[in-house]
Amino acid sequence: MPEVKPLAPPENVPFDVNRKLEELPVELRLRAKDRLRVGRLRHRKGLLAKIMLLVALIGPGVLVMVADNDAGGVITYAQTGSIFGIGFFIPLMVLMIPTAYFVQEMTVRLAAVTRRGHAEMIWRRYGSFWGAFSLADLLIANSLTMVTEFIGISFGMSVFGVSHIVAVAVGILFVLTVTLTLRYHRWERASLIIALFNLVFIPLVLFAHPNWSTVASAFATWHVDGGITQLFLYVLLANLGTTIAPWMLFFQQSSEVDRGTVPEDIGAGRRDTLIGACVMSAVAISIMIFFGTLVFNGAQVTSATSTAPYNIAAILSTVSHKVGLLPTKLFALGLIDAGLISAIALTASTSWAVGEAFEWPKSINLPFWEGRKFYVPGMVSLMIAAAIVLVPNVPLGFLNITVQVVASIFMPAALLFLLLLANDKEIMGKYANKGWENAGTILIMVVLISMSALYGITLLFPGAL
Amino acid sequence: MNHEKEGYQFIKSEQEWNSFLKREKIRDYSKVPVPRARIKGVVKVAFIFLRIYIAFMLVLILLGFLHIL
Repeated sequence: MPEVKPLAPPENVPFDVNRKLEELPVELRLRAKDRLRVGRLRHRKGLLAKIMLLVALIGPGVLVMVADNDAGGVITYAQTGSIFGIGFFIPLMVLMIPTAYFVQEMTVRLAAVTRRGHAEMIWRRYGSFWGAFSLADLLIANSLTMVTEFIGISFGMSVFGVSHIVAVAVGILFVLTVTLTLRYHRWERASLIIALFNLVFIPLVLFAHPNWSTVASAFATWHVDGGITQLFLYVLLANLGTTIAPWMLFFQQSSEVDRGTVPEDIGAGRRDTLIGACVMSAVAISIMIFFGTLVFNGAQVTSATSTAPYNIAAILSTVSHKVGLLPTKLFALGLIDAGLISAIALTASTSWAVGEAFEWPKSINLPFWEGRKFYVPGMVSLMIAAAIVLVPNVPLGFLNITVQVVASIFMPAALLFLLLLANDKEIMGKYANKGWENAGTILIMVVLISMSALYGITLLFPGAL
Repeated sequence: MNHEKEGYQFIKSEQEWNSFLKREKIRDYSKVPVPRARIKGVVKVAFIFLRIYIAFMLVLILLGFLHIL
């Protein structure tokens, strides 16, 4: 009888990480690979590795803030600069850095500790009534905001002679390609590259040749040209609404969960969020300086008594008349990019929220067929928005107001849930909010609620101010 | 995928792999239940105010839209 050789003892078999990875379900396998990539950079020494690690840890914070400068936001900043100049709103935009950071930083901690999205946490902790309320509000707001993204994409492309239908079709194809073909790591990197084009608004300022001493003095005087009117409140609310929007909370928390953020990454997440807030503010300020220098003449502030939106086509026509076509085309390019990056973020935000609420698979790491339930809500929202934009004579002004109304109802509610969750010691433990963090968030909530209520009163009683 | 190419050499054993999975919380969290929060005290008051705020805003919206139309 031939001698049977004993099997090699397990310790002689080299450990194979890839074999272990294959044992995990697909979405967890891809997430583990993403985390291994970060771990590998942490183990490497040298300046290059440190820089690569810093870049690798940039993600949802920058993405959410840049996506917040969406087509509607860009148009709002352009209108603000054109109507009110740079006196009041530029210092306000600097104040928006800590405001946006304060709010979004909580989502980083929540994601790292709970490993769950915002919709899921509201649903599970506070019940189906508040869960359904938040989800319905988010879905309505996301779909309507998506309409404004398509309006921006379409308007921007029209500057290059692209027809309305082609612009909408290109927008849909672009968003679907990024969302359905790329898994989380690549999706995030591709989105960040697209977001880079948002910076085109910063050098745009140089074409306007602003008076920098006037810009600097805005910080010292901080006054409102024309006093506090209904128009001022409208523009102020629109700026606040575009800086901190409900979808941002849902998007960043879900995105942090999907990328695999853990408590050790909270510091990196904070840096990411702060960089994003600074970029967001720099872009907003640049747009306001550009239009405040070229279009603002002080007359609109005193003459405008209604909330009729200032025509963006008229604003751009004034700009191209004063500084030529190149800055107008750069602005249009920025507008297209703003619409595309926000459409990508809103599609993901919708899919994550629905997936979390109904306990469906909820990861961009899922291939399309396995995660079809996850991808469909975002796709449906995208298609509805595109269809609305293509309807002839659709009341876009009415839609714009509805977006703001839904956001103004939802924002204090969303902030309250964020505050409750971030203070929930049962789930957050030592990562729960500190006293000063609560004071800051409550202050933001009070300002938002007061502004919404004040604006509501001016709508009902136009002579109240 | 190739082990060398991926460069995961910093995990060399089953024990390190398990500690990686634990540290990075690589697991399906959908299967871990989240308890319902106990609504009492300040939280209860906050929810009452939220209901009032939503009702107030809905009335304002209705009046606002009537005003627009």
